[in-house]
Amino acid sequence: MRFEVWQNFRRSKLAIVAVAYVALITAVAVAAPLLSPYAPNEANLTDRLQPPSSRHLLGTDDLGRDVLARMIHGSRVSLVVGYSATVLSLIIGSFLGALAGYYGGVADWIVSRLIEIVLCFPFLFLVLGIVALFKPSLYSILVALALTSWTTEARFVRAEFLRIRELDYAQAARASGARDPRIIFRHLLPNALAPVIVSASFGVASAILIESALSFLGFGVALPTSSWGSILAVAQEFVSYAWWLVVFPGTAIFLTVAAFNLIGDRLRDVLDPRGDPVL
Amino acid sequence: MLVYVVRRLLYALLTFLGITVATFALIHSVPGDPVLFYVSRGSLTHITPSVLASIRHEYYLDEPLPRQYVHWLGGVMRLDFGQSLVERQPVARVIFEKLPRTLLLNAIAFVIAAAIGIPVGLWSAARAGRSFDRASAVSFFLLYSLPTFWVALLLMQFFSVKLGILPVLGLTSDGYAEMTRAQQLVDRIRHLMLPVAVLTYGQLAIFARFSRSAVREVIRQDFVTTARAKGVGEAGVMWRHAFRNALLPIITLIGLTVPYLISGSVIVEDIFQWDGVGLLYFDSIRARDYPIVMALTVVTAMMTLLATLLADLLYAAADPRVRLEAKR
Repeated sequence: MRFEVWQNFRRSKLAIVAVAYVALITAVAVAAPLLSPYAPNEANLTDRLQPPSSRHLLGTDDLGRDVLARMIHGSRVSLVVGYSATVLSLIIGSFLGALAGYYGGVADWIVSRLIEIVLCFPFLFLVLGIVALFKPSLYSILVALALTSWTTEARFVRAEFLRIRELDYAQAARASGARDPRIIFRHLLPNALAPVIVSASFGVASAILIESALSFLGFGVALPTSSWGSILAVAQEFVSYAWWLVVFPGTAIFLTVAAFNLIGDRLRDVLDPRGDPVL
Repeated sequence: MLVYVVRRLLYALLTFLGITVATFALIHSVPGDPVLFYVSRGSLTHITPSVLASIRHEYYLDEPLPRQYVHWLGGVMRLDFGQSLVERQPVARVIFEKLPRTLLLNAIAFVIAAAIGIPVGLWSAARAGRSFDRASAVSFFLLYSLPTFWVALLLMQFFSVKLGILPVLGLTSDGYAEMTRAQQLVDRIRHLMLPVAVLTYGQLAIFARFSRSAVREVIRQDFVTTARAKGVGEAGVMWRHAFRNALLPIITLIGLTVPYLISGSVIVEDIFQWDGVGLLYFDSIRARDYPIVMALTVVTAMMTLLATLLADLLYAAADPRVRLEAKR
């Protein structure tokens, strides 16, 4: 079954390019100190705002720091936020979704109301509020993203559980005396994860987008830690002539977000041909 | 229908209470003493404990949390959100002065996105799997992945700095008051163009993808197969059966896109210094103007709640299956 999924997946060339890009950017993030031509915070005031040249391939910022070095290190922030926030919201979402779908009744009612409430808050409002009021840091960004984005996963897992909880193998597990936690986590959850994988891929994209927006707005990880969004925040002040500060980090955010979105879209086509109406 | 409406309204009321509890709990779990923070910003250098106590009393901060919540909720019901700490004006007045500007921006973006996105989505569904469908899917995904703040910077750099044909910031130009009516209108439109463009492009993808899958969903149903079997042409199947039935679920998009739009306005209004509630929220967060932050959180969540409620009721009015389901 897994082999078939991959066979189907790779029929889209674009999706293959996206996977290759994600692998590359993840490798860059892991090996950042080895690849970076300069230290990310090495300021050199005589080299302020230099356009791209052989010494600084992507130019320098307002403090003479090498943009390429800051972007290579910035990939760490983006990917750590993207992956960890998604894992956290996967854990919260699958847990609540599983409870709601398996037990139904009161549990389902409570989880469904909770989802409804969270969905009413404009996403960025809530995230910005939590991060800014509780002191911006990697930790508070992760908490804010996890608290606000588990609803998608919860809805998918709940729907899958409603469908599979009465199937033969679930009945068989129950008949052979397995307790609820075992049925939920050993038997049902692994079979309910297909649609969740799809939403996880979109989740990484959205987390990276939000992190860069927060950094751009000045509520990201503490300075001088470099992130793609914070380079763009500097670019805002010099928008009239320092084009390299605008173009390169923006392209990096765009390509990374697009890659995760394209992978998610392809996975959806392959895993769930009926498709899901919500983007 | 009545059963459905009543049930839906009760749920909405419950969600409203949940929204207020969540907002209250969130703000009150922020570390730090708001009174000390507020006082330390003022010009007062020496504050006696009795002054602090009287300020606390004025804002009910000396009472137990549930009491404080009830006070605040009572105010919310009467649209009385207290005084802004920065502007020294009633919060409601500040918000309702700026809300129309945000609504204007969002309404225009919503209409443009729907007018382009929905037809493209319907057309893609009719051409599913062919080159038009694929090309539009990929290009919408790419558009959707573009960070709004980046696009805003690029557009500003190109249209305002390089070409100098559109204004960079603000609601209107200097000297707006002296312009004639026609000039004022042109000036307003020129200031709207870039913010609206930035708000619109990401939503196009949502509209197009949603309407496409709505049509695909209908095409799978038996009555479409029946129509085909009895010899209705492809154009007839699409126009008479698929599109008409697919328009129903698209109603729910009204509810889905409202929070997305409001989120987008925070970034767009900050970059273009568009003086609406998005910018107000941003400034209030920075200044820790808690009454405004709480009020805006509740008001925007309420707007989403109302939009979803409206969409659900419209849907039920249009589709008898929904309200019959509720009776069971």
